[in-house]
This record gives sequence, structure tokens and C-alpha cells, in this order.
Amino acid sequence: MFGYYLNLALRSFRRNRVLTALMVLAIALGIGACMTTLTVFRVLSGDPIPHKSDRLFYVQLDPASMQGYNPGEEPAGQVTRLDAEALLAEKRGLRQALMTGGGVSVTPGQEGLPPYLAGARYTSADFFPMFDTPMLYGNGWSAEQDQARARVAVLSKATNDRVFGGANSVGQQLRIDQADFTVVGVVDDWRPTPRFYDMYSDRYGELEEVFLPFTTSRDLEMGRSGSMDCWGDSQGDSTQPNAPCTWIQYWVELESPAAAGAYRDYLMNYSDQQRAAGRYERPSNVRLRNVMELLEHNRVVPNDVVMQLWLGFGFLLVCLLNTVGLLLAKFLRRSGEIGVRRALGASRSEIFKQCLVEAGTIGLAGGIIGLGLSLLGLWAVRQQPASYAELARLDPGMLLLTFLLAIAASVLAGLLPAWRAMQVAPALQLKSQ
Amino acid sequence: MLDMRQVAKVYRTELVETHALRSLDLHVGEGEFVAVTGPSGSGKTTFLNIAGLLETFTGGDYLLDGVNVKGLNDNQRSRLRNEKIGFIFQGFNLIPDLNLFDNCDVPLRYRRMPANERKIRIEEALSQVGLGSRLKHYPAELSGGQQQRAAIARALAGSPRLLLADEPTGNLDSQMARSVMELLEDINSRGTTIVMVTHDPELAARAQRNVHIVDGMATDLSVAPGLARAAHADIAAASAEA
Amino acid sequence: MEIRPILSTLMRHKTAAALIVLEIALTCAIICNALFMISDRVAQVQEVSGLVENELVRVQITSIGRDPDEDARTRSDLAALRALPGVKEATVVNQVPFVNSSWNSSIRLSQDQQRPTMTPTMYMAEERFLETFGLKLVAGRGFEADEFRDASAVMSGAGTGDVAAAIITRTMAERLFPGESAVGKTFYNGPDVLVRVVGVVEHLVRPSQMGGPTAREYSMIFPTRPHYNLGGNYVIRTDPERRQEVLDAAVRTLRANGTDRIILDENTMTFEELRDRFYQGPRSMAWLLGIVCVGLLVITALGIIGLASFWVQQRTKQIGVRRALGATKGQILAYFQTENFLLATIGIVLGMLAAYGINQVLMSKYELARLPAYYLPIGATALWLLGQVSVLGPARRAASVPPAIATRSV
Repeated sequence: MFGYYLNLALRSFRRNRVLTALMVLAIALGIGACMTTLTVFRVLSGDPIPHKSDRLFYVQLDPASMQGYNPGEEPAGQVTRLDAEALLAEKRGLRQALMTGGGVSVTPGQEGLPPYLAGARYTSADFFPMFDTPMLYGNGWSAEQDQARARVAVLSKATNDRVFGGANSVGQQLRIDQADFTVVGVVDDWRPTPRFYDMYSDRYGELEEVFLPFTTSRDLEMGRSGSMDCWGDSQGDSTQPNAPCTWIQYWVELESPAAAGAYRDYLMNYSDQQRAAGRYERPSNVRLRNVMELLEHNRVVPNDVVMQLWLGFGFLLVCLLNTVGLLLAKFLRRSGEIGVRRALGASRSEIFKQCLVEAGTIGLAGGIIGLGLSLLGLWAVRQQPASYAELARLDPGMLLLTFLLAIAASVLAGLLPAWRAMQVAPALQLKSQ
Repeated sequence: MLDMRQVAKVYRTELVETHALRSLDLHVGEGEFVAVTGPSGSGKTTFLNIAGLLETFTGGDYLLDGVNVKGLNDNQRSRLRNEKIGFIFQGFNLIPDLNLFDNCDVPLRYRRMPANERKIRIEEALSQVGLGSRLKHYPAELSGGQQQRAAIARALAGSPRLLLADEPTGNLDSQMARSVMELLEDINSRGTTIVMVTHDPELAARAQRNVHIVDGMATDLSVAPGLARAAHADIAAASAEA
Repeated sequence: MEIRPILSTLMRHKTAAALIVLEIALTCAIICNALFMISDRVAQVQEVSGLVENELVRVQITSIGRDPDEDARTRSDLAALRALPGVKEATVVNQVPFVNSSWNSSIRLSQDQQRPTMTPTMYMAEERFLETFGLKLVAGRGFEADEFRDASAVMSGAGTGDVAAAIITRTMAERLFPGESAVGKTFYNGPDVLVRVVGVVEHLVRPSQMGGPTAREYSMIFPTRPHYNLGGNYVIRTDPERRQEVLDAAVRTLRANGTDRIILDENTMTFEELRDRFYQGPRSMAWLLGIVCVGLLVITALGIIGLASFWVQQRTKQIGVRRALGATKGQILAYFQTENFLLATIGIVLGMLAAYGINQVLMSKYELARLPAYYLPIGATALWLLGQVSVLGPARRAASVPPAIATRSV
């Protein structure tokens, strides 16, 4: 019977080309708008490190002076250099790393390649195993190299391609700022979306080009980037160890989500000790958030994207209402034929099924065109200068969802009209033409 | 075949109660050709709708081919209608989007018949009514008489036990009307029971038996055609006096 | 035109009528808010920055590693730039408008305040800052020669003891010292640096959108000469026609002044281009909203046309009877237009309520302002017009139904 109803639906479309085209177009527009905005939203709001995101925690402490203090308020978004180095030395987590952003000049050794400014991350040894960075060549550096302020560097694949032509550059020298560094590793294609480990840099941007040990970066007084928040006089150098400034991100990996409670207690103890030693003024106030909690708290998805998502849904809803009306008109216009079919033995449920098949077929056609429209929409998004623009692509899952959504939406829209159609009483229709 | 006992049908709205049928008794035996006559508003349309299971009734009993219709739900009535009854309407009621083959196909589809069986039956039915060469034609391409014959083929394709015809020649000129009536008589001679509603006494005379419905009740006029006309006048006079 | 019979006819076709009403209501609600957001974005894109944007170009530069002579190099850079043909003014500054990073500092009106009064942005200016940017003073004066310090000296804590001077914007002055002249007043920069206001400029936006729309012009200017490694911005003022020429010449000059520096080409451009890039987001959003509005109107129009056509077809016999009884074509037309007007009115009323509801949600979650009341009549008129125009086609078809239809029984 399904094949029969499909056949009938197609014939009906051929007879009412304009009306059918309008219905298909309406659904296509709604689906296109909805899928475009949904794809962008999904890309931006996903879990950047799903296999580990509940075991990675971001540390926040409250080291500022009492001035401006409000009980219960959120503590500083980053930690001071002193706190970061102290926590790192105590090693209470399974793995831990401090990090911040920076900018360095890279001077390739090859002729004809001018020096350029590269985005950098100054961090410690555990960064690479903690975040499971995929390595193309070599590895990260060791804790001993951190201690020794070794002049070692890990490059991104893009940098390696640009400077070394993509070859295995482990062991090679690279001039960074005014010093020579040895390459120990190259990171493979990695673009965590969003770049969760630093909420104060371009959250959806590309990976840093160069990774250097934090200790080395301070040794060489390399330029930093990101947000720096000072509450006191930093005596001219806000990056020195005792500066009253927060500018460093501190991440810890724990054995399991359940270990968070114990680690939080540890942070409270640490804060109490700092207050006892006269360094902290405020009551202990710590935060320990896992990856998704941090993203949620920082409202990582831009407001505009969320609003566009709601617009997409609103548009789809209006298109669906439209379809309900047009389907109602289409079915009831054929009351005569429905009456005949009922007289010839069709039960109400058969009429209902026939109408739903027709609605679903329109949905399928609308889904195909809607898919084309969303590809167009995503292309338009990719032309925007936003840093997340190039991530706006349809993946197989969303492709399938497009069709499912189109068919489900049109069948839903067809429920009311189909129900009304099946109520058509056979007796009345036959006499009055 | 068709056994109605004291069937009543009341239409109720908020303000008005209409008794379309009151205690209708009507029996049609297998293989009979019965004409149902009556003035307009007498309830013959209602009778036909009930006979064809297109409407429910409010009182009495109706047995169709031995099956008691009361208490059947919509699905069951649809099945019964599909398998046992063939309809012929005054306005033909062919589906304009479908060609003759597909029109005849409709009732067979609802019976979930396999494709080759449907093909055989349709081709046979259409050739029986003389339209075997026009399988692919659309209703709009045919004359009124041909359309009605196609509708009859549609009714026949399912081998119904009972044919219900509502003014089958009402929209046809006299020549086409004659050929349709001949077809109906031919079908009846092969054993199909036919109940035909008509207001034309000449057509009614071609049936074996007449039933007259007036004010929702039936009177049997199983007499010879010529006398039937006189009996009509008597009864009309009787009810006018009453 | 009798309203009651029209209404009672509609009540008998509740489903289709409800669909039209709902569609109009939803479209009205979305469009009212969308139009508001469009105007908000457009206002953003068109804001006054205070700068003579069409005369300015910016070069961004950084040194490779540390530069021990950065102050001296900055001075020689500026001298060379100012000597270029076509250059009217040139300056070095720590930040420029239309970028996403900025230097900010919390200030307080009194030293013992717990919470800061505000956190304006901080421009570090050298002698030709005001002239290069073309800022207009509306009170007080520019900086005097002896008020300038080198930024590197100030930041390394070679304490001054002098009261620092600052120029603030009019918006900031209004907020700090409402109703009074700000010139001569003081505030505390950070915990303990006392600052006196010496001048007020009409407009100067901060670099980014930090602080939201109210804080857009909370900017203060300090007479602390930056060197080129503090933000790395050289800003040059010239004639609009000579901008590209001057930009190219400036880049060549700066490159010639030492090979141990990198010019960031992707950030070196005219201010017009900088502003254009900065506002790409709001501009795209405004376009998107506009397209959505148009799309919604088209879809709603099609829906109305579809359902109205259906109704006309359903009531063909009835229309024929009316005509046979003496109705003119105009009266039939008016009937359908009135019917549509009624439906649109109900839809619009519901739509306005929904519009306010949506606006409340947007206000609380996305920092949008309250929908001004005048958007509602705009949305209402748009939808009334849309309805009337859409129903015109089917209504005219209804009006041309011949009266003879009344006598046909089949």
C-alpha cells in the first residue's frame, strides 16, 4: 500500500504543480535555515575533548586584595604566577600544567623566508599527555627540561610545513625571538573546538604555532598575550613571580570525576595557608570546573550564534504552520475523491495513511532542496571573517538529520490535515458535487 | 441478501429532529433486481446510504448477506463495503486524476489483492462493459455513457454480492440510458443482486420488483409494471388523505 | 460591512482560520524583534568614533625579541614618518579603536571606595595624539609639554609624585561628574594614583565592545609616551586620496629602520578597512535578520494566498448565490478583504504580546534593550498590508464568479 500511496502522491503533485512547489519550497526554506544555524551551533557548542572532558579541571583561586571584595563572588578567572608554580611543584593531581599565550618571532633558517610573528603557548611538560595532543613527529618535552629552562620547542603542523616543508624536523634548530631552539616534537592536525584551555584568547581560532616551556619564556622575557589583571602595583614588570597579577591558566587531570572533591579541599587548604602566610587577604574562595562546566560558565558560544539558532527554529515553525494550512487546503479540496474512496471500501485509517504518505513525500522533496539551501547557507557562513567560520561544515550526521527533520516535520504538519481528511463522511460528499 | 427490519434513522441537531426513516422493512433476496422509488425527501437516499454502509442508523436491524451490521466499527464496515457492495452513482464519481484502469483498481487495492489478480479482474470487467480498448483513457476523454459504464466496471471488478445504484441514468441522454440499463439487466441475469434507486417509473418498470418509500417507510409493490403505476397513485392518494 | 456574519463564518472554519492567525502572530512577533535588532546593529555599525577615519592609516609592528633601544627607535621612526610626503600627522599609540584587545584600568572617585566606579580604557598618548586622531576638545585643554612622561619610565615604577593628568571623553565626564564641568576634577587610577582631568574630548570610542553599549566611550588618555613595542601601533594622518601611497611609504620606511622587526601585514591597513572588518559581525547579523524578515513575509503571504484560494473555491456556490441575489463584484471583494483584515487583526494582537514576551527573554539572556513601542505599529502595518495584498488575488477571483453558478445543481 505504501508504494500505491506514493504513486498517488506523485500523480497529485503533477496535477497541482504550483501548490506542490510552494509547499516544497516552504519546507525547504525552513529546513535550510534551521540546519544551517543548527550546524554552526553544534560545531561551536560541542565537547572539544569528549573522552576526557570530565577528568580535566580548571583551577581558580582568589588572591586579590580586600578592596572590591564581595562575598560569594566569582574569584579571578586566571591564577598568579606564584600560585601556578607552587601548585605545579606540589603535583597533587594525576597530571597538571600551567600555561599562557604569547607571541614570538620565528626566523626560518631557509633563504627567502622572512621572519614572522607567530602565536605561542608557554606551558609545562604535562600539557601534551594531559590533553592527548596527537603528535606527528617526536614528543613534548620533559619535566627536567622545564626545570632546566631548556631551549626546546614543539611546533604545530602548520609551522612545520611552513618552515621545514613538512619533513621530520625533530632535532633541527629554529631561531625563535633572539635564541636558537631545538625542535623536539610536531603536533599533528589538532583543532579543539573551542580552544578550551585558554578562555582569554581566540576561542575558536587555530592552534598556536609554537609551544615553548614557560620557564624558558620567562628566562628570555618573551612577549605574552592574553588577559592580564593586576590589583596592585606590579613595580614595572607584571610577569615577575611576585606580581599581584593573574594571567596564567592552570589545568589538572584527576583519576576520575569523583576525585574532584578531594582536590577542591586541597585548594581550600592551600588558600588557607596563603592567608596564614599573609599573602591572601580574602576568605578562601576556589573554583574547580571541568571542561564543559568551564565552557558553560564562560558562555563560549557567541550570543549571535544562539540567537541565530532560535531564528532558524522560529522560521521553521512558521514554514510548518504554512505547510499545515496548505496541506489542509489540498486534502479538503479533494473531499470528493476521498468520499469515493471511502465508499469503495477505504477505512479512515487508510485515508489517514494516504495523506501522511503525501505529506512525507513533500517533506522528502523539501529536505533535498533544504539540504542544498543549508549547504549554501554554510558556504555563506564560511565567508564571514569570524574565526570559527571555516569550521562551518556539514558532516554525515547532520546530513542524515536534515532528511529526518524534513520528513518528521512534514509528517507532523500533515497530522491535522490528514485527521480532517479522514473525517470526510462518504455519504454526504457523494450527492453534492 | 439485504435484510432490513424496522430500520430507523433520526437526524438530531440542537433544535430539530428529523426522522428520515421510520421503521423501514425491506428484504431483497439473492439475485433479485429491485427498484426503489419515492418522492424527493422520502428517505430513499438515506436508505441507500444505510444499505451501502455509508451511514449508521439509529434503530432496527440490518443484515447484509447474513452479517448483522450493528456494532461493526468503521474498519469492519469499510471491509464489508469493499468486499460485498458495488456502487453506481448518478454523477459517476470517477476520480479524474486516474485513468480507467487505475479507477477500477481503487477498490481492489483496499482489498490488498496481488497485482496480477487485479490486472485480470480489471481487464475482464472493462471488457464486460465494452471499454476493453480504453484502459488508459481518462474520464474526461469519455462520453457520459462511457463514464457510467466505466463506473459499473469499477463496481464489478471486485465481484460484489450486491450492486447499489443511485439514479444511474440521471445524467445521461435517453440512448445512453438505455444501453446502461441493458448492461445492468445483463449483470443481474448473471446472478448479481441489484438495488436501484430511481424516480423514473419507466426505469422502475424494468426491475423485477418495486419498493416505494414514502415518509420513511416502505411499501412493496411486487406487481406487474403496468399495475405498479396505478398502485403508486393509490398509495400516494392514501397517504395524502392520511 | 457586517462583522458578525463574517466572524460566524470563520468560526465554522476554525482550523484554517486559526492557522492563518497563528502564522500572522508568529511572523509579527519575530519581525518586530528582528527589525529592532537590525536597527540596533545598524546603529552600532554607524556609530561615531571621534576619529577622522577617512584620513588615517595604521601600521602594526613588533620587534624580534627584546629591543633595548625601543624608545630611541620609536622617536626615529616618528621623525622619519613625519618627514614623508603627504603625511600631515603621525603618532605612536598602545591601542587603536576597532580591534578586539585593549588596555583597561579601574578607577575610583575616592580612595577608600570598595568597588571601582568604572573600568575605562586607557590610551597612552605622545605629543601629537589629539591632532593625529582629529579629536575635538569641548572643555579644558590638550596636554602641556611638561606633562608628558615616557611610558617605560612610568611602568618601571620611577614614581612621580606629580598628579598625573588625563583627558577623558564627554560621556565619561557626564558619568563621573554629572552636571558639572569635569575640568580640574580628580579620580584615582588603580588603587592609589591620583589623576586630574585637564580636558574633555567630544568622542573617543574604546577599542573593543568590552563593558557593553553604555561603556562604549569610557576612554581616558594619559600623557605617557609609549614605545613601539607597547601595542606596536603607528597611526598616520594624510589626505584620503593618498592613503595607500602613504601606507606603502610608511611600511618601507619602517622596514628600512632595522631588519630585526616584523610588520604585521594582516593588521596594517587604513582605518576604514579596520572599521569595516570590525563591524563585519553586526553587519552580517543585520543582513541575516533582514533576509529572515523578507523570507517570513513571503512565506506568510503564500500561506494566506493558498488558504484564501481554497476558501474561495469551497464557497464558489455560495458566492454565486450572493451575486444572484444582487451583490456587486465590489461587495464580494470587500467581503474577502474584510475577512482577511479581521484575521490579521487577531493575529497581530497575539503577535504583539508574543513580541513582548520574546523581547523579555532576549533582554534577560542576551543584554538586548527593551523593544520600543513604536516597533509594534510598524510590524502591525506591515502584516495588515501583507494580508490585504495577498488576499487580493483570490478575492478578485471570487468577485468574478458568475451569478449563473447559483442555478447549477451539480
